[in-house]
Order: sequence, then C-alpha cells, then structure tokens
Amino acid sequence: MAHVKVQRRSMRPEEYIALRYGWLKRYIYENKQPVTPVFIKEAHQIGDNSFEYYDSDYREINEGDMLYTPDGSAFFKFDCIIPNALSGQEVYLFMKTSSEIIVKINGRYAGGLDPNRSAVLISPFANYGVCKTEMYGFNRSKPDDERNPETSAGRGCRQIFGGIYTVTVNNAVKSLCYDCEALTDIIGSGAFSDEYGKIITERLNTALNMIDFDGDTLLPGQVLAAGQYIEQNIYADKAFKGSGRAALVAHSHLDLAYYWRRIHTVQKNLRTVLIQLRLMDKYPDYTYCHTQAYTYETLEKYYPEVFDELKMRIKEGRFEPVGAMYVEPDCNIPSAESLIRQCLYGQSYFRSRFGITVDSCWLPDVFGNSWILPQILIKSGVKYFVSNKMSTWNDTNRFPHNNFVWKGIDGTKIYACVPPTHFITWNEPSQIVENWEAFQDKSTNTETLSMFGYGDGGSGATEEMIELMHRFNKLSVMPETRHITAKRFLDENFTADKSFDVWDGELYLEMHRGTFTTKSELKKYNRLLETKFRDTELLCLLGRLNGKAYPAEKINELYKLFLVNQFHDILPGSHITPVYRDAIEDLKKIDSGLSELVPKGEGLFNTLNISRGGIEFIEQPNGEFTRLNKQGGFYRVCAEPLSQATALCSSENGEWFSLNGLRAETDVYSVSFAPDGSIVSLFDKKLCREWVKGAFNKLRLYDDKPGNYDAWDILPDYAVNECSISVETPLHFVKKNGICAELSAELITSSCSRLKHIIRLFKASEEIEVECIANWHEKHKLLKVHFEPDILTRELVCDTSAGYIKREMNVNTTWQQAKFECCTHKWFSLDETGAGVAVINNSKYGAGITPNGASLSLLRATERPDPVSDIGMHDFCWKIVPHGGSFTDAKINDLALIYNSPLIYADIENTPDFMRINGLFLQSAKLSENGKMAVLRLCEQNGRRGSINFNRSVKLLNMLEDEISEVKSISYSPFEIITLGINIG
Amino acid sequence: MEKYFSEVITPLTEGDGGKLEYKETYGGKVYVTARGECSKCNILNRCVKWAEQKIKADLNMDVSIVCIRKKPFFWDK
Repeated sequence: MAHVKVQRRSMRPEEYIALRYGWLKRYIYENKQPVTPVFIKEAHQIGDNSFEYYDSDYREINEGDMLYTPDGSAFFKFDCIIPNALSGQEVYLFMKTSSEIIVKINGRYAGGLDPNRSAVLISPFANYGVCKTEMYGFNRSKPDDERNPETSAGRGCRQIFGGIYTVTVNNAVKSLCYDCEALTDIIGSGAFSDEYGKIITERLNTALNMIDFDGDTLLPGQVLAAGQYIEQNIYADKAFKGSGRAALVAHSHLDLAYYWRRIHTVQKNLRTVLIQLRLMDKYPDYTYCHTQAYTYETLEKYYPEVFDELKMRIKEGRFEPVGAMYVEPDCNIPSAESLIRQCLYGQSYFRSRFGITVDSCWLPDVFGNSWILPQILIKSGVKYFVSNKMSTWNDTNRFPHNNFVWKGIDGTKIYACVPPTHFITWNEPSQIVENWEAFQDKSTNTETLSMFGYGDGGSGATEEMIELMHRFNKLSVMPETRHITAKRFLDENFTADKSFDVWDGELYLEMHRGTFTTKSELKKYNRLLETKFRDTELLCLLGRLNGKAYPAEKINELYKLFLVNQFHDILPGSHITPVYRDAIEDLKKIDSGLSELVPKGEGLFNTLNISRGGIEFIEQPNGEFTRLNKQGGFYRVCAEPLSQATALCSSENGEWFSLNGLRAETDVYSVSFAPDGSIVSLFDKKLCREWVKGAFNKLRLYDDKPGNYDAWDILPDYAVNECSISVETPLHFVKKNGICAELSAELITSSCSRLKHIIRLFKASEEIEVECIANWHEKHKLLKVHFEPDILTRELVCDTSAGYIKREMNVNTTWQQAKFECCTHKWFSLDETGAGVAVINNSKYGAGITPNGASLSLLRATERPDPVSDIGMHDFCWKIVPHGGSFTDAKINDLALIYNSPLIYADIENTPDFMRINGLFLQSAKLSENGKMAVLRLCEQNGRRGSINFNRSVKLLNMLEDEISEVKSISYSPFEIITLGINIG
Repeated sequence: MEKYFSEVITPLTEGDGGKLEYKETYGGKVYVTARGECSKCNILNRCVKWAEQKIKADLNMDVSIVCIRKKPFFWDK
C-alpha cells in the first residue's frame, strides 16, 4: 500500500489570526496622498559629511524608477503639501525603503526612515500648506535585522523608488496591531505554555471575528470593539501567572565601521539619535541609552541643532550616555594604556559637555574582555561593567553568571552584568521570558537586564517596541517588567547589601578566536603605534621640562584617531575592504604625525626605565643586515634607564659561529636545523640541556574554514587538515659577523605563497631571532609557528600588557578545551621549575595552546567580510628565548618590552629624578590634560609587591587625572597600575 | 576595461561589502566575478546593468557583462 502523508489543508486558527493581522496592518495608514514631484541628486560619500555628486543638478524621480548606486547616497527634495482638510490631525511622511534616510522639514530635522520605520511625523515641523522637505538617503547592504521581509527583499545597491506619500494614522487600528503583535508572539514563540497559548488563540480569534475585513474600509466601531474585547478578556484575565522581573533598557548598538565605513557612521548616528529623540517626544516615559563619546562628538560637530536637543534630553535624564570609553574598543588586543586612554578621552568628553562622569562600561558586542580591565575601569570612575557576548555566543560552555562581581588580575573587583540574552532584541514578550529563564543568578538577584533596540548599524528602539512594553504588565503571564535607565538598573541591583558570585579571571569569549590574527597589518601597526605614542609623549614631556611647548592638542587628535581604530570591528579585522583601507590610511597618518612631533637626534636614547644590555638591531642607512625591510646592524647595547645608549659592535670576526650542513655551533648552542628552518635540536652548552622535544620553530599551514563568521573564528579542529609547505631552498648560510649569524630557508605552499624563514643566532646570547617574510596568496588558511619544548608544564604564561595570565594547557575539562586559541601580547612562556622557553613577538596576538606546547598564530586568509583579507606581503619577527630560572627571574617581560621599544635617535641631556623609578614599568609619561603636571603611569607586571620613596611630595591620581591624595612614598601590589602627578608649574 | 574596473567599478562595489572584479573580455563580452556581498545579492542584475550604463557614459562603449558569482563555500549555491 502506498504511503500517503496526511497534510492539513484547512487553515489553523493561529494561521487565520496571522492572516488577519496582516490585513489589519494595511489599514493603519489613511488619507494617503502621493507627493509629487520628487527630485533627487545622487552622490558618493567621500568624507564624514562631504559628497561627490554624480549629477550637477537634481532630476525628477518617479515611482518605479531606479535609485542609488553602489556605495551611493541620494539627496531628495520636494514640497510636501498638507491639505487644510487634515487640520488638527497628525500627518506623516510615508516611504517604504530598504535604505537609511534622514528627513528634514522646513530646515529642521524631523526623523529617520529605514527598513524598520516607514513613517515620520511631520506635523510638529510644518504648518498646513506647503512644507519644504529634504531627505538624505544612504544605500545599505547590511540591514539592522532581517525581520522585515518587504524591505529585506529590496535591499541592494540599486533600489526601486516606491514613492513618497503623506498619510494620517488610524490609531485604533495601529493599537490593535500592537495587541496582535504581542499576542501572536505569545501564541507562536513556544516561550509560553501550550494551554495559555490555546486560550489566547481562542480569544484573539474571537476579537478579530468582530471585524468585517471584506470591505475596503474597516468599521471604526468594530475595531474599537475588538480592542475592548482584548482588554476585558485577555489583559484583564490574571489567572495565568508569570514569574521573574526584567528591566527593559533601550539602546542601539552602533558599529563605527563594519559593513560600512566610519564616514557613514556619522549619518547612521544622526539617524539613530533623531529616531530616539522623536520617540521621546511621543512617549513621555521613554528613556534611551547611547554609548561612545566619539558618536556624540560627530553629532556635535556636524549636527549642532540635534546635539542641543540631545543635551536637553540628557538634562531631563531621558537620553542617557553610557559606556565611559571613547569608542567600544576591542578588549583583547589594545594595551592597558590604550584602554586607559579610551576611558580618559571618553570621560573627559562626557564631563566637559554634560558635566557627568559615566559610571558604566557598556560593551555589548566586544569579543571577550581582558583580565586587566576591572582595575582600569574602577580607576577611571566606572562602577559597572556590562557586556553580552559571553552569555549568548560561547560555543562550548555556558557562562555561569549574569549579575556578578568580576575580579581583575590585580584583585580589583567591579560589578559586572553579562545579560542572559542578545543585545539586539525587539522587545517581544517571548524575548523577555527567555531572558528571565536564562538568568542564572536568581538565587542572589531578583532582576535581569533585557536590552532592546535594533543595532549593529544603529537605529535602536521602534514605536512598536515601546507599545509592546506598555502591554507587558497587563499580561499576567509575563515577568514583571519596568522600563528604566541603565544607570537605575545598575544602581538598584548592584548594591553592597547583596551577595554576588565572583568571577576571577579573564572574560574569555569562546568564539571569534581568529580576531587575534586576522588582518595582520592592523595588529602590526597597533603594536608599533602603542610604543610610538609612549615614546612621543615621554620625549615631549622631557622637552616641556626643558622649556619647550608640549603639543597636547596634536597628541590628543592623533590618540583619538588611534582609539577609533581600536574599535571592535576595526582592529579585530572583521570588516569590509574599504574599512581596512581607511584604517591603514589613518594608522600611517598617525605614524607620520607622531614622527613630526619629536625632532630626530644624533644619539641613541633608551625610552624605557629598564636597563639594556642585550643585542639589538639598530637602523642605519648602510647597515650590513636587512631586517623588517630596513637596513641596519646588530649591536650589543649598553643603556641605563631613560638614558643615552651606547651601541658596541664586535671587533671579532665570526669565529664564534660555524655551520656544518644543517648543524650550527655557537658559543651558546649546538643547533640542528631541518631544511625548512625548524629546529630539531637546541642544546644549551651553559645549562647542559636540550630544549627541543617536538616541533620547534616549525611553520605549519592549516585549512581554516570556520564558516559564516570567517574573519572572526578559528574552529577547534583546525589542526585536523594540515597542508603541506614545501622547501624550495633549504636552510643555508647567509652572512655573519662578530655578533650575528644569519641563515635563511625559502618555503612555498601549494597556492604559491612564498615564505622566507630567516634565523638569526647571536654571539654570547641565548636569544634566537626569527623573521618571516611572506608573500601570502592563500584562501582559508591559517599559518602558525609551533613550539614543543622539552619542558614539563601544564600552563602557558601569556602577557596581557599589564601583567601575565596563566592558561591551562591540559584538556580535561570543556573550559580548558575551549581555550585552544587565546590572546597574548608581547610574549608567552612555557616554564617548568628552574627553566623555560619564551617566545617574544613584535606584532602578533594569537597563541594556540595544545597539551604539548604552544603556537604563535601568524597569518589568516579569510573571505568574509573582506574577500581579499591579508593577501599580499607581510614581514614580522619573533624571538625564541630559552631561559634558566622562571620567566620572571629571566626578566622575559623586560626583554619583550625592549624588543618592542627599539632605541630611538634622540638627544636627551638628562631626565629628571622623579622619572627614574625602579621596579615598576613606566607605562606612560605625559603632560596632564590640564597642562599643570607631569603624569607618570607605573605598572607592576611581574606579580611582585614593593614600595617606592620619592624625595618630594607627589600626587596620587586616578586614571582620569583627578587628585586622590599627596604622598611621599607608595606601596604597590602585584599587577597594580599607579598614576602619579608631579607639579611642573 | 580592466583599468576602468579596478579604478571605478570595483571600489564602488567594495563600499557595500561586495566586489565586482574584471576577469577578461572574450567574444565581445566582459566577464566579471561577483564576490563578497555581491555574490549573494538578489538584485545583482540591476547592478550589472548599472555597470554597463556607466561604461557607456564614461567610456562610450557598449558592453555586455557576464557576471560569475563566486560564493564562499559557506554560503548556499
């Protein structure tokens, strides 16, 4: 007997409800009158608020015509006629669009249109009769969300103009639509009980049965009756009880650059702010929070009238600045000083414009958070840390807390909120229930945070989200909700009388592990410029102490530009091609800008407060060696802290080094190489021990196919598919002198990427330098260099830039397994008691962890969002440092600082005594923001305690440079960062 | 044509996360690849038409463009 699949062909009640809800929506807008003629001028945006126009003048556009071009903008102008017949009614401008549009009526900013918003209220900006209308439209390829099928289908670079209309709104129909939205979500989401869903279905069906949909106009009495039925039979029925409590906080996540360039964010931000201000006009109870001082700055600069309006709402407490930082930066890769500057410049802006110090750090989308953050935030006036990713994006383990205390590397504690659900929600009833159900701290906390509003490209909350919210407390089955500011939620929930679980460690995101490596050049510039900012400020401060002007304005301008480029979709590499080009252009501009601020000298200067005595490369026009594409030589350097340096060359010849086949002898090592430049054996003559057990300095290439989150992710099984790297020219001798011997191998991949693997051995030095010059033409590949030393350890020690973190290498638990790729800064070390092997790098941030060793991630080749990511030439170095004693005994951190802070050509006669500080790293030396103090930032990086006595009184500052006290000595504890101010008049 | 694409058409399409890239001219037709967002665009044909019109306007050449979608492996075919 043939199998017959039984299919239901009649319409289910919930389907019939959905159908009529769809019909109902068609009756929201009434008195629809086309606006004609409409004129348009198309353009290409070339700056924050500047455009290249394709046409010399406006042209008329008619319904059905094509508009927008790739990467295009469109300027509309037309007269909007509001007939006297509509006197006393609210009149809207209506346009369905897949683009983003800012609407200006009679010279005033009226609101925004986009795929989620089709109408702008124009009555407050227009008298009846003719009103002059201008619209600025921006093409969009990545929508805020995919919820609106009508506009999603039309998105793309060439869109069809669907016409512009004036309309009025039937508020009764609209209100009934919002009822339907809330109730159909309850019926269809699966978040509520079947029994309750069945009752709602029956009663909503009954309500909609009251309306005759056959005519072309709905009878108002029927619509009102349906609404009343819902009030009396659904909202008034309290038989079913929900549980829990949720705070609803409106926000909009705005990526400064992602699928769009930073220049486009200026208008995205304006549209977002406008939309939220108009919602505040309509709903007196509505509050909204907005991050990133940078976005406020652009609004102030380009749209001062909207900024004034925003300021007024801030005074009222309804528009709420959150997030103390200048932008929402990546929080893995930037150094401690960069993160401090995010707070310093962010808070300075909020203080100067609004008179407030923002007490929250608001980073909903950041890809994990470094353990160094709590101290930085607390010392920057921040009480609360908010970040969502760990709860919703972890691929292995469920992050166990939502409202908790985060304990930082130095022991500083900060209140932390990792809301249970995504930071982009549209405030549906089911999303609130899901949030409460996922909330894991119910035993100690009674309220969960639910953020709502569209985001990524901004725009935020909609009228619908607010209307839904107004219905929640009428639905007894819902958790209790209240719409409040972020600050109120944080202040009322994180109080000293409550107990919180403590998370002591980094907030590692078990996803997006590729972002430590993607876009290698951005990482290289990041390291280079972090060092260069330090050097520049230090030298400018020394100049100021000698009576020269301190270029504070220029430094601040360059620093802010740098901080913008540490945004969490710029520095991590998760963006489209033009964003990368912009970033590189900015970073080059910063590089040259900093170079101009400090005059070059003849002598070499050690900018570190660390003595130098090792071998270093010094740039010279006719140098014997080429390293990182620069000519120079290797010298044994002798330099006291913050002093002029002496570089000694050796008068010896190269007899300290010999090579027999692939076996090299130095005064320190017997080394056996493989033809590819990897090290098979490294015997330490002084310690009489072998350092190598497995792969060591071994380049390995892997298939790297993480899927849709291509630029972001490396999958746990990346090592399964290793690809061959062939040796084109085996390791061979290149040159030697009294200090350095250089060997080189040339390798090639099956995709014809060429890798030049250069090894440098040094006389009387344990350090081995490796340079890799890559002509990279891969697709979905990951290049790593592996180290499996003869060291028994189960911990990889990684630099955080402000102390070290130990990561477990064994894979017994899922928490250990998930950390197969981590962020490291200048170095990592594999240590056993009394010995270890450290790898110091000059521009990398990704470290792979296996039970047998570690790898440094070098290059990736991803396709999304940037189809040509990382293709081209790369040149980077690392240093292998086998060491006796522990990594702290061997001063690995100092060596890494020296490796990343080359001597610079500068003539400094003397440095003041107050800058000569031992035991702590002088992380920054600058002129205070008020121009009256020398600010010294000291960082303990080796986990030690100690004290420092000064021969004068100094000010103890917080990181915002506010004075806390005056001291003559300080005690410091492990990993503490201390800011001091010295009056300089 | 290759220069025109690399200087005009390709950079504009990159602005929206895509990439229309010139490959060759053969048999009177211009072959280009569509990568990134262009490769999965529902209305790519409109963009191709725009490119043809722009070439006519800027270079005074009538061309027919054949566009090959190069979707990454993780996007549907």
